[in-house]
Amino acid sequence: MDEDGETETGAYIWEGEYEKTWEALREDEAGSIQASVDDIVSRAKRRRLLERPADIRLGMMRHLFVVIDLSSAMTDQDLRPTRQHCTLKLLEGFIEEYFDQNPISQLGLVVTRNKSAEKLTELGGNPQRHITAARKAVDMACSGEPSLQNSLEICMKTLRYMPGHTSREILIILGSLTTCDPGDVSKTIKALCTNIRLVNFLDGKIGLCFHQELASYNIRSSVIGLAAEVRVCAKLCKGTRGKYGVILDECHFKDILMQHVSPPPAATNTESSLVRMGFPYHQLSANVASGETPSMCMCHLDGNEEQGFGSKGYFCPQCKGKYCELPVECKSCGLTLVSAPHLARSYHHLFPLDASVELKLSNISAEVSHCYACQVRLTEQLLYQCQKCQKFFCLDCDLFIHETLHSCPGCANKPPNQALNDSVNNRNNT
Amino acid sequence: MAAEEGGCLLVVIVDTNPVWWGENCMQTESGVDENQLHKCLDSIMVFCNSHLMLNSENKLAVLASHTDQSKFLYPKAESATAAAPPSVEPREDVISMATGEESNDSMFSRTNGPGSCGEGKQTSSDGRHELLAQLDDSLIDQLKEMILNDSSQDNILRAETMLAGALALALCYIHRMMKEHTKQGLKSRILVIKAGEDSASQYLPFMNAVFTAQKLNVPIDACLLGKDSGLLQQGSDITGGIYLQIPNPMGLLQYLLWVFLPDADTREKLVLPPRVQVDYRAACFCHRNLIDIGYVCSVCLSIFCHFSPICSTCQTTFKIMGRPGKAKKRKLLPK
Ligand SMILES: [Zn+2]
Ligand SMILES: [Zn+2]
Ligand SMILES: [Zn+2]
Ligand SMILES: [Zn+2]
Ligand SMILES: [Zn+2]
Ligand SMILES: [Zn+2]
Repeated sequence: MDEDGETETGAYIWEGEYEKTWEALREDEAGSIQASVDDIVSRAKRRRLLERPADIRLGMMRHLFVVIDLSSAMTDQDLRPTRQHCTLKLLEGFIEEYFDQNPISQLGLVVTRNKSAEKLTELGGNPQRHITAARKAVDMACSGEPSLQNSLEICMKTLRYMPGHTSREILIILGSLTTCDPGDVSKTIKALCTNIRLVNFLDGKIGLCFHQELASYNIRSSVIGLAAEVRVCAKLCKGTRGKYGVILDECHFKDILMQHVSPPPAATNTESSLVRMGFPYHQLSANVASGETPSMCMCHLDGNEEQGFGSKGYFCPQCKGKYCELPVECKSCGLTLVSAPHLARSYHHLFPLDASVELKLSNISAEVSHCYACQVRLTEQLLYQCQKCQKFFCLDCDLFIHETLHSCPGCANKPPNQALNDSVNNRNNT
Repeated sequence: MAAEEGGCLLVVIVDTNPVWWGENCMQTESGVDENQLHKCLDSIMVFCNSHLMLNSENKLAVLASHTDQSKFLYPKAESATAAAPPSVEPREDVISMATGEESNDSMFSRTNGPGSCGEGKQTSSDGRHELLAQLDDSLIDQLKEMILNDSSQDNILRAETMLAGALALALCYIHRMMKEHTKQGLKSRILVIKAGEDSASQYLPFMNAVFTAQKLNVPIDACLLGKDSGLLQQGSDITGGIYLQIPNPMGLLQYLLWVFLPDADTREKLVLPPRVQVDYRAACFCHRNLIDIGYVCSVCLSIFCHFSPICSTCQTTFKIMGRPGKAKKRKLLPK
């Protein structure tokens, strides 16, 4: 079965997508195939939207560790300029997008090289800190072999203490085809947790079998391979409900990486709880009449800069501590401080927009000549109809609406209380 | 003046909610002004013309946000695609022939029927700039058409406008124009001229639109003729636009020209109205009260003002884990 490294469909992972794309390529008048390539990418995106499962619980509060391989394999130049540069550049974009889509989540960075792993940043909610760390990692020298096990262990140490209602995840970006771990690691892990089985070491290459330990901690591990499919990674992902992807090129790499931005389905045994949160008051200037004075913020206390002193800021409703930015966990009373828009940013994951239906222009009444949203004249044969408001959209708008806007312009233009008002009216008439 | 910048696309959203405009006309009937909508539209047209005149690369779109629909007043669907490559459909030939005839007619009379299109060269009889004449006519025609065809045959007047829908349309249009003009580096912004009240039911689509605007780097300016709008305050603050409630709608043109006409680069050099204090507190799902400290369901992120064992939104049963929160609260109370 999966012993020979095949997925359920029988095809190798790298064969799954972008199949026979060359047959669909067409040159335009200027002899460019860019439009055609864009079209294929757009269609692949649309297909993924359709495949999105409905009505499942999502892990909205995420704790994610990204493990970056900095072994000698990362100096390979099959990605431009090198695998290391390309990965870290894409990672910056990923971090920004991650915090945009998961505003109350946290992230941490781990690098692995020379048979060991080290934490670059602790779990935290400040995108800038991680981006700075990722930029610095560009200058780190790639050497030796990565250690899958050491990386997992270092992440696990932190993640196991995270509250049970959060989604605990590890994402590994692996350039190397091998992983090397010191021989006695098995004992260390056994001491940490008893229910893990380690399999043999073949000249320094470890086969980590069935990750019961990670599974028992509810840690979802995903791997992005930069070279080829590796069996130990496939097993790791399978055992922990993670995703395993092997990249084709830089564009595909970005695509796979960005798939990890959306919250994953929650594990069945994830606890649910009501989390106490504070919604701080935002003050622009001190009200001198009521005796308020400028103060120092809690987030810049340890820095030497003058930043953070003033009357502007967000005040913790419980202890009145001042912060420059939200979301943040209050340093003195531990309350999670957020603003209403932070929560609203995540609501589109919970109330996803229904997929539209693809129609042929020739099959529908002649009145439709323009995209409802962007007013472009529909010249292509295919157009997309929202099933709720029956409006027609072009492919560009359909993707934009589903990927970025998350609400249908047609539906948003319909008074929601129309039905309600009608019933009120009927009651008044009778 | 070589175009050092690719110009700016301005999308103006005008609230045409009949309830508010009706009320305001009544109020001023005793006074000097008999028709405010008329005067405000004049001001908006002057403002739009000014924007187009500032830079030949500047682009404009005007949307009406009505009670049950949102509509592009300018550009009209046909003229919007004038730059698009011609298709070989026979249907279009019919249209362009028809428009050709009508634009011939418009040589003699300026009052075009609502069916006339901006396609082709249209010359105005009174010597106005061609583009600006097109804009003014299109605005008036489309607005007339919309008001006359108002589909509220059920005689229900709603005080709310479909602002979220208009913003969504504006963003789709901006997305398209930015894609078409990537080389020129087209910048975009949105100006909302709002009169009526906020609609609570539009919170989600409205916030989605605001986050999208933030992502596209499109500031949302807000010019309030009536009451303050909590939604627009948040929208302007998040996207870095200007929020201004004007004390007297009669001075609309002054405010539009002074505050909202300058682009982002010019604004840095001007002394503009200070940022407003925005209330970012959340409203609980159970009573719609604004709260400082609340309980958030870890599954669906619903906000509640008190602890309850079952989430009323997603029906999740909470484990005892939530209890310490309650205990903490009790401990705090006596202090
Ligand atoms: Zn600070
Ligand atoms: Zn506090
Ligand atoms: Zn479109
Ligand atoms: Zn719809
Ligand atoms: Zn409540
Ligand atoms: Zn819930």
